[in-house]
Amino acid sequence: MLILCRKINESVVIDGMITVKVLRIDGDQVRLGIQAPSDVPVHRHEVYEEIQRNNREAATHVRPDVPRLPVPLRPASTPTPAPSPKPTTPTTEPPTSTFAAPANPARAAAHVTAAPCAI
Amino acid sequence: MSTLATIECERLPASPETAVKPAVLTMPLGLLGFEEVKQYAILQNPDEQPFLWLQMSEAPKHAFLIVPPSAVVPDYRPELSDDDVTFLQLKSPEDAVIVNIVTLRSGASSTVNLKGPIVYNRHTRIGKQVIPLNASRFTLQYPLPALA
Repeated sequence: MLILCRKINESVVIDGMITVKVLRIDGDQVRLGIQAPSDVPVHRHEVYEEIQRNNREAATHVRPDVPRLPVPLRPASTPTPAPSPKPTTPTTEPPTSTFAAPANPARAAAHVTAAPCAI
Repeated sequence: MSTLATIECERLPASPETAVKPAVLTMPLGLLGFEEVKQYAILQNPDEQPFLWLQMSEAPKHAFLIVPPSAVVPDYRPELSDDDVTFLQLKSPEDAVIVNIVTLRSGASSTVNLKGPIVYNRHTRIGKQVIPLNASRFTLQYPLPALA
């Protein structure tokens, strides 16, 4: 592991494309700004790990019976019939959630992710 | 934080006319833990509604049970970062579709991952498992209400 000392507002560059900058130090918390191409995922490690673990548990090779939901929340949903054999065929998926109007969805990303410490 | 756009999702009434047609989904970054698998198909069995299957088109050919969040939680509003909006090329709110991965377990302990939803652009069929800005408000294992 490479170990470097940095002061506030100093940064490191990784592979010429990723910049990690120390924005603030507050007690035992360090606030980092990370600049990276949009195809480079950046995650808090513990969150990444728990979702990764959950994905691996959710992945299945078989198609078990799926549960039936007690009360459809969606108005157009009809009571789900009993599980039946599963000739799962490619079809369309129903509409799911849609976003409410964003403040500025097409804003060009400055791509500085100043991570909120709350998450 | 000022560089981060915030968009929220809201559930809509199901309306068949807005259903998206192709069943193929490309996730250039894969799913967390399955980064190498980029191609998926969304499969539907009418008997299993509102659930769908997200099936890997490549090895190891696993499948994930997924569900539209509106079928499980009444008010689910993950906030996407600017980077995710850009990555998914979301030009309007209606471009985005959200689904959540279900972990099936025996008994009533099946859960839905609200912390890491899959969001895809219904036009480009490009998707990503995102960690929303407000992910700390959501649980990784929301209990699935099963029929007794």
